[in-house]
Amino acid sequence: MKFVCTALGVLLLCSFNRGLRFPYRQAGLTERQAAAHLLSRFTYGATPGEVDAVVHQGLERWFSKQLEARLPDDSLDLRLSGYDALQLSNAQVRETFPRNGEVLRMARKDGTISSDSAMGDPKAYKDVLKNYMQEKGFKPLQELYRQFYCQKILRAAYSNNQLQEVMTDFWFNHFNVSMTKGDCAEFIPAYERDVIRPGALGKFGDLVLATAKSPAMLYYLDNFSSKNGGINENYAREVMELHTLGVDGGYTQQDVTQAARVLTGWTVYPLGREDNPLVQRLAAMSPDQMVQRGFVRDGDFLFIGNRHDKDPKTVLGTEFGPDEGYQEGVRLLALLARHPSTAHFICKELAVRFVSDNPPASLIDKMAQTFLDKNGDIRKVLITMVSSPEFWAPEAVREKIKSPFELAISSVRSLQATIDQPYQVYNWVSRMGEKLYAYQAPTGYPDKGQYWINTGSLLNRMNFGLAIASGRIPGVHFDLAALNDHREPESAQAALETYTRLILPERQTAETVRRLTPMLSDPALAGKVDAASNRMANEQGPEPGPSPAMLSQVVGIIIGSPEYQRR
Amino acid sequence: MLTRRGFLKGGGLALFGIGLLGGIPAFIAEAAAREKVTRLYKKGKVLVCIFQRGAMDGLMAVTPFADPYLQAARPTLFMTPAKGGSAAPLIDLDGRFGLHPAFQAFEPVFRDKRLAIVHGIGSPNNTRSHFDAQDYMESGTPFDKATPSGWLNRAVGLLGHDALTPFSAVSLSSAMPRSLYGDNPAVAISNLQDFAIQMKGNPLGANMAAKSFEDLYDQTAPGLLKQTGQESFEAVKMLQKTDIRNYKPAGNAQYPNSALGSALKQIAQLIKMDVGLEIAFTECSGWDTHFGQGTTAGVFARSATDLADSVMAFWTDLDTYQDDVTLMTMTEFGRTVHQNGTGGTDHGRGSCNFILGHDTSGGLVHGELKPLAQENLEDGRDLPVSTDFRAVFSEVADRHLRIAGERVLFPGWNGNPIGVMRQA
Repeated sequence: MKFVCTALGVLLLCSFNRGLRFPYRQAGLTERQAAAHLLSRFTYGATPGEVDAVVHQGLERWFSKQLEARLPDDSLDLRLSGYDALQLSNAQVRETFPRNGEVLRMARKDGTISSDSAMGDPKAYKDVLKNYMQEKGFKPLQELYRQFYCQKILRAAYSNNQLQEVMTDFWFNHFNVSMTKGDCAEFIPAYERDVIRPGALGKFGDLVLATAKSPAMLYYLDNFSSKNGGINENYAREVMELHTLGVDGGYTQQDVTQAARVLTGWTVYPLGREDNPLVQRLAAMSPDQMVQRGFVRDGDFLFIGNRHDKDPKTVLGTEFGPDEGYQEGVRLLALLARHPSTAHFICKELAVRFVSDNPPASLIDKMAQTFLDKNGDIRKVLITMVSSPEFWAPEAVREKIKSPFELAISSVRSLQATIDQPYQVYNWVSRMGEKLYAYQAPTGYPDKGQYWINTGSLLNRMNFGLAIASGRIPGVHFDLAALNDHREPESAQAALETYTRLILPERQTAETVRRLTPMLSDPALAGKVDAASNRMANEQGPEPGPSPAMLSQVVGIIIGSPEYQRR
Repeated sequence: MLTRRGFLKGGGLALFGIGLLGGIPAFIAEAAAREKVTRLYKKGKVLVCIFQRGAMDGLMAVTPFADPYLQAARPTLFMTPAKGGSAAPLIDLDGRFGLHPAFQAFEPVFRDKRLAIVHGIGSPNNTRSHFDAQDYMESGTPFDKATPSGWLNRAVGLLGHDALTPFSAVSLSSAMPRSLYGDNPAVAISNLQDFAIQMKGNPLGANMAAKSFEDLYDQTAPGLLKQTGQESFEAVKMLQKTDIRNYKPAGNAQYPNSALGSALKQIAQLIKMDVGLEIAFTECSGWDTHFGQGTTAGVFARSATDLADSVMAFWTDLDTYQDDVTLMTMTEFGRTVHQNGTGGTDHGRGSCNFILGHDTSGGLVHGELKPLAQENLEDGRDLPVSTDFRAVFSEVADRHLRIAGERVLFPGWNGNPIGVMRQA
């Protein structure tokens, strides 16, 4: 089995690598510049020395490896091993992290709380509930969410399969669900883990189907409740408008209503509820009986035949039913996933993420053609994108502005920092305007600089740079001397040039260096800064190199600088 | 078109001297005449919105106390204006409606016809999900989830001029609210004091860093980063003109020591700093009263006291600025007419809201409320929505901010105003 996998991997690798040639020279880029560009788009930021490593490996080969997404990740796995909630199934999540209302119900049923104690002292009431939770081994949902936020930060910072993490972020945002909606929040960790990440580099159609059937999406866009005689159009509308065709994709309100009818009966298997009558009924049935009675169960997904609208429907000119049950929805989603409007819409979104806020139509057309020819194969579409001159054009290089998350993680990677408390990084990302997994609308975060950059968020980016570089983000550690292989810079000027180059590889940094030089080399200023920064003053290095306090301040300013906001 | 950047670069900071020197510099006046930007530095109108998250029980906030059905439906929650007993009675507004005593701070402005109430307000979409209902109310499109922008962000775009300063639209909250999602500039801050380059315990280092950043953003290639960078430092300087930490509210206003009190205090500071604030947003919670709602004391009364005392401290503090400010509350839906089994109320439909300002049609309870007999209730259980929230929001925005084109502010809405604002 292992042999087969490896052989398959080699085959895959060969097929991606074969014939790949990136046309960066035609665009006037050196190989090193091209490697830096590639890293800036398909990773969460280059680590020091990574540009050289990619050049050494070969750009095409590096990209193939990233597409394959099978690099060993032992160091990441070790970091994640302390997070015990990350592998729980949705049902286990419901059992371990019951919602407040459910705890209350159970406590009442057990007689721990009488129904009139709700009227009394709220503090005492809360204490009773808290004790009850401890007794039962229940944990607050906040703990699940904390672990979930932390894993995103650790994966982005340390995974060797960077492209897979970047694509996971991309597709999550495309098929957005939000922690702000309590009904779906607890299912979001499994949504990312079981639906988005495994499909991030697969076929687009598989992602559409898998998201449609996931509890997180079924609750977020309300399809769980949609039934014959009581349809809810939210999901049917958004799957066309936001997930596939796009708002100008050529569908009508009539199509939305008909699609909603096709998707009636698609709901969530009652999770963690053994006393639920439906669960008991289903448990008593054999697989054959389930099919006969019109049920389809797939993991947490449940199709209930008698909630499905059995009449014929027509969506985008294609007929569904009568009475085809679950398969109607499967056919509908496949139809949407391979529609030419979808190809165009998805490829534009990819190009906005990876090329520029206003990608050229010529590039989108090429990508869309591949999307249609290769049945929505995401890897093939990415290859077309990177093999196109538009990807390497001067208008594209450095033109994307990092999201707050990208800024934070790229800083960690630039400094080769160790994160002991990822939640602290999460808080900073929120402060800079990107509360992870919490964009309320199904559109997901607008992926453009205009959205991320405003006066408040920009000041917070600068403050973030200063905070991380001066070691004031608890649980984020690094060693600036180690970054430069413990070679001591000969002068303040040399230090500035060295660290600017390490943090901003292959960028035009002469002006940045020129502007920062006076600060670093003014001994009077340096003395004052060191005195003001007592903690750092004790570690002051010998002349003539800059003091550690000054050096970390300079690094903070580089991270907060305009050049570092670009990728 | 006078751009935001042009304004700031050309004269934004110089304007702060105007209050001292008097008069408007000639070049600004010229620019104003040339570009027809008439409200360049005239004190602008400000709309302040407070979202009461969790769905306020409108029937407890403003009780139709003469309704026998309500009394029957709420054996332990019903209150009356009748004096006697130890509990505080309702404040009789008009012989029909009684204001919950925790809102007593509102009574003077209601009597003074500054405070208008709309009863039976809500969304045409009958969802009883907090999330969905808030989402719809904030996007302003009750049947469309994918509307990318919030209604207040669209309002910024319809003010008839570019956002003149970084503080045109501000939310005092930790994250950008759905109401302000969109393409027009808006800032979310939880604390004005954060609006600076900060290095704890090292002000000198912070100062140096600020200078370096300013320099680097100034020299970078023209575009978003350069422009916003320059605006950021101008914004910092604007705020530095005032001692935010030692702010003394006017009229001896006492803000409650609560998140809402602090947010409104900061909004008042921004208004008085003349930094160009036009739309402000903040929120409060504690309205989802399923359990132990209480009457004169309890969850509801606590939240109501905080809301009324915060708003009235703000109003007192505004002092001479009151003419320019309208404050409006909103909540996603109301609560069931019947109390539930745990001394509370569940998710319902219609609620009420408060609109405070000198151009409101105040001292009245607007809207339509039929007797709460079961046949008059939505789904046999809830106060029906008799006024679409868009009718009220668009009327307030239109009259106060002089926004024309309600249909753009609320796509798909073509209803009429209900008269909560006085005719100009």
